[in-house]
Amino acid sequence: MIHINPTENKVILSIQNLNVKFTLRGQVLSAIRGVSLDVHQGESIAIVGESGSGKSVFVKCAMGLLDANGYIESGSILYNGMDLATFKTDRDWLKIRGHEIAMVFQDPMTSLNPLKTIGQQIREAVELHQGLHGEAAYNAVLEVLTDVGISEPKRRYKQYPHEFSGGMRQRVVIAIALACRPKILICDEPTTALDVTIQAQILELIKAMQKKYNLTTIYITHDLGVVANVADRIAVMYAGDIVEIGTCDEVFYDPKHPYTWALLSSLPQLGVKNEPLYSIQGTPPNLFQEIKGDAFAPRNPKALTIDYLQRPPFFEITPTHKARTWLLDPRAPKVEPPEHVRALREKGVNRNG
Amino acid sequence: MADQRKKMLEIQDLTVQFGSRLHPFTAVDHVSFDIYQGETFGLVGESGSGKTTIGRAVIRIHPTAGGNIIFDGQKINGRISRSLDRQITQRIQMIFQDPMSSLNERAKVDYIVSEGLMSGHHHLTEAQRREKVAKALSDVGLLPEFASRFPHEFSGGQRQRIGIARALIMEPDFIIADEPISALDVSIRAQVLNLLSSLQKERGLTYLFIAHDLSVVRFICDRIAVIHKGQIVELAESEELFAHPLHPYTQALLSAIPLPDPIAERQKKLLVYDPACHHYSQTNQPSWQEILPGHFILASQEELDAYKKQL
Amino acid sequence: MKHLGFHTLRDRKTDVLSDKLSQQLKSELNPALSDEELFSFADFNADRAERGGYSGYSYWGSTLRAFFQNKVAVFFLIVMLSVLTFTLIQPYLPGQKDPLLIHNDQWGLPLNNVAPCGEFWFGTNAIGQDLWARIWAGTRTSLFIGFTVAMVEAVVGILVGVLWGYVRKLDFFFTELYNVLDNIPQTLLLILISYVMKPGVSTIIFALCLTGWLGMARFIRNQIIIIRDRDYNLASRCLGVPTWRIIVKNLLPYLVSVITMRMALAIPSAIGNEVFVTYIGIGLPVDTPSLGNLIQTGRSLMTVASLRYQLFFPVLVLVLITTSFYLIGNAFADAADPKNHVK
Repeated sequence: MIHINPTENKVILSIQNLNVKFTLRGQVLSAIRGVSLDVHQGESIAIVGESGSGKSVFVKCAMGLLDANGYIESGSILYNGMDLATFKTDRDWLKIRGHEIAMVFQDPMTSLNPLKTIGQQIREAVELHQGLHGEAAYNAVLEVLTDVGISEPKRRYKQYPHEFSGGMRQRVVIAIALACRPKILICDEPTTALDVTIQAQILELIKAMQKKYNLTTIYITHDLGVVANVADRIAVMYAGDIVEIGTCDEVFYDPKHPYTWALLSSLPQLGVKNEPLYSIQGTPPNLFQEIKGDAFAPRNPKALTIDYLQRPPFFEITPTHKARTWLLDPRAPKVEPPEHVRALREKGVNRNG
Repeated sequence: MADQRKKMLEIQDLTVQFGSRLHPFTAVDHVSFDIYQGETFGLVGESGSGKTTIGRAVIRIHPTAGGNIIFDGQKINGRISRSLDRQITQRIQMIFQDPMSSLNERAKVDYIVSEGLMSGHHHLTEAQRREKVAKALSDVGLLPEFASRFPHEFSGGQRQRIGIARALIMEPDFIIADEPISALDVSIRAQVLNLLSSLQKERGLTYLFIAHDLSVVRFICDRIAVIHKGQIVELAESEELFAHPLHPYTQALLSAIPLPDPIAERQKKLLVYDPACHHYSQTNQPSWQEILPGHFILASQEELDAYKKQL
Repeated sequence: MKHLGFHTLRDRKTDVLSDKLSQQLKSELNPALSDEELFSFADFNADRAERGGYSGYSYWGSTLRAFFQNKVAVFFLIVMLSVLTFTLIQPYLPGQKDPLLIHNDQWGLPLNNVAPCGEFWFGTNAIGQDLWARIWAGTRTSLFIGFTVAMVEAVVGILVGVLWGYVRKLDFFFTELYNVLDNIPQTLLLILISYVMKPGVSTIIFALCLTGWLGMARFIRNQIIIIRDRDYNLASRCLGVPTWRIIVKNLLPYLVSVITMRMALAIPSAIGNEVFVTYIGIGLPVDTPSLGNLIQTGRSLMTVASLRYQLFFPVLVLVLITTSFYLIGNAFADAADPKNHVK
C-alpha cells in the first residue's frame, strides 16, 4: 500500500511544551499539561479524547479563543515565525483567525448569523480575505457554494440559515471557512450534531476540500471511529496530555497505550450480541482532581504500581509512533491488549501483506 | 416462533400530528409494530423521522391523532381512567437523550432519584426511601454517597446512569430509551449499553430503544425497525437486517456507519438515499409486505419482486 | 524512513530530562519500592474510578460570593440596610419629635419654615412640623407601601404567571385577561379609585396592586414557557409527579434569582408610583406623611431659595432608597447567573 508519510513535509504549526491553566472559583486548574505537537504542511491530524480531556482547549489556544479565565502558563505555539502564545490583543489575532487558521464548530447554527443571507455571510469572508469586490466576489461565493456541494447556488445565495437543514448549514459554515483561504482548517467535532448519513457526507466533503485547497486539517473528536477514514495521524488525548500519537494505521492496528486500547475496544460497532461490550470503567478525571502518575491509572484494571506514582515518559515505537505508558518500559510485565485490538491488528497485518 | 411470545406493546396504525388544525404536520404516519415481552426493539431513523415522537406518544407526552397504542392488552392512548394512568406511569419509564438537560440542576441526586416515589401513593418512610435510593444508585454502578450531591458534579455517563436509576426505582416493565447514548462520549457508551442489557437480564425488562445510528442497535436490539419521514420502511431481526438490508434507505444507513478500521474505511463506498429512486406513482403505491418470515418492508409490488431476487 | 519526524531532538531531550527527573522523584518518594514492585499490577478499585473530582460547587454559595465581590453593590446594601433599620427604630430613639405636632415658640406662634438648626435638624415645614420626624415617618409609610405592593405583586404575579405558563388550557383565558387589563391606563385607574375610595394608605396599596401584578405575571409566564418543556420536566411528568410539585421543585427554583431581582425593583417602583400619585394630588392626605406628599409640599416651595431644603431632604432619601434597591437588584441578578460563577 502506498501511503505518503505526511510527517516528511515541513512543520506548519509547532506547539512546544504547552501548559494551559484555568482559574475557577479561586482554584487553579491545569487543562493542558506540557503538550508538544508538530503539525505538518498538508497533513490531516485528528486529536481524539473525551470531554474534559482538553482537546478543545488545546486548539482554542491556536485561535486565541481561550475563555476569559484561562491562560497559557508556559510553552509556545509557533506559526510562520510567530509565537501565538505571546499574542494578547484581538488585533494580533485578526492576522491569524480566518486568514491563516479557520475553524468549523460543532453546532453550525452558532456560527451563522440568522439575520443575514448565507450569500452575504460568505461574501463578507470573500471580500475581507480574498480582496474581491462586486461581480468577482459574487462569482467567488457561487464557486465556493458549488465546491461544498450546495446545488442551485444562485437561489441558495439569497436564503437565510433557517431555511437550511443541519447538514446543509454545516456545508455553509465550511464554505465560509474556505472563503477565508486559510492554511489550516480546524474542525471541532464537525459532525457530532449531525445524523450518521450526513456525518459521512460532511467528512467526505472536508477531505475533498482539503485536497482541493491544499489545507492542513486538524480534527477534534471524541469518536475514534469517525476519523479512520480522514486522518493521516492521530493523537489521543487524556486529561490534558497526549498519551499516544502515531499514523492512523499505527494507532488503529498497533496501539500501545491502555487508554487507546480501551477507546478502540469500547466502540459499539465491535460489539457482539449477547456478550458485554468492553467498557471503560469509571469516569474521566475532571479538572478539580490533582493528577499524579498516569492519569488513566484509576480506570485501568491492569495499572501498575508505578502508574500511580510517576508520570510515564514518551516511549518511541517507530519514528512516527510514540506512547506515554510504563508498559513500554523494558522492566514492565508483558500485557496483552484486549481481544478486539488484537483482532484489528491481525486485520491490519493481513491486508498490509 | 415470535408470535407465541406475549405482546407487551402494540402500535396499531399510529398517527401523530403537530401544528394547527388547518396546517397539520404529520410526524408519524400510520405506523404499526409490536414489541414482545422481554425483547429490545430498536427504532432507527434520522432526526425528524418521528422516532422520538413515537416514544413520547407511548409515554403520553404527545397526544395521538389516530390509531391505537395497546400496552399489555389495554389501550393507553386517548382518554384513560385514573387508575390505569397511575398503573402505566409506574410500568412505563423513559430514559432521555441528553443527560445534561434531563436532570434538575437545582435538586440533589437524592431527590431526583426518588422523585417517582413521591407522587403520593407510595407511603414510604424516610428510611425506606433512602434505602431505595442507595439501592438504585448502586444498581447502576454509582456510589450511594453521591445522593447528597448536585447533578453538575457528574460526568455525562454518570448523569445518564442517574437518569436510569430514577427510572428503575419505579420498578417498571417497559422502558423507552430515547437515544440514551448518543449524547455521550464514545468511551462511556459501552458502559451504559452494558448496564442496560444487564438490567434487562436481571429484571426481564422490555425496551423500546430509539437511535439514529445502526451500529449501536445491532449490539443491543433483538429486532430493528428503520423509520424514515414518519413511516417504517423496514423491520427485521437485527442479524437478518444486517445480513440482508433490502430497502435503499436501510442500505444508506448501514453504509454510513463509521468503521474503526482505516483500510476498510478507505475502501468503503458511501450510499446516499434519494426517495425519488422508488418511482412511486398513483398506480405503483408501496405497501407493508412480509418478504421473509419476520422481515417486513415497505415496497411496491414491482420492488418486492426485485428484492426477492436479491435474497 | 529514518528522518527527524516530529520526534525532534528537543523532544528527545525533554524525554531524557523527564526520565531523569522521575528517577529522582521516585527515589525521593518511594525509597522502599524496588523496580519489581513498581512494575507489578496495582489493585483495581472500581469506586476510585467512579469518584473523579469533586468541586463542592454550590449555586447559592457561588451566587453570594459573586455578589459580595461587587463592591458597589455591597456599599449600597449597607446604605440600604442602615436606612431601613434607622427608619424602623427612629421613633423609639430618645429626643425624637412627633411628626404631626406643630411646634410653637414661647408666644404660641408656630415655628414655621425654620431652616435646619440644632433643634430641628432638617428644619420645619410651613406649619411648624419637624421635618426630620416627618421625613422618617414618611419613609416608613412609603417603604410600607413599597414592600406590601411588591409582596402582593410577587404572590399574585407568581401564582397567575405559573398557571398561565404551565397549564396550557388556561393560556387563552389569561392572555385575554392580560390584554384587557393591560389596556386600561394605570393613571386613569388610580385617579378613578382615589375618587371612589377614601384616600389613605390602604387605598393607595389597593390601587397600585390592582394592575401591578400584570407585569410580574407576564414575566413569570414567559420564563416558565422557556423552561417548561425541558427534558427534566418531561422526566418528572413521566414519573407521575403532580403538577404542584413540578412547579415548586422544578420550575420555581430556577426562577428564584429573577424573581428576587424583580421584587427588588418593584419596591422602588411602587414608592415612585406613590410619590407620583401624591404629587398629582390624588394620593395620601397631608396628615399622613409620606415621601410623596413631602416632595409635593417641597416642590411648591421650590421657587424660594431659602426653603429649598424642604424639597432637598425628602428627595435625598428617595434617591438613596431607589438607587440602592436598583443597584442591589441588578448586582444580584448578575451574581445569580451561573456564567458569572467562574471567578
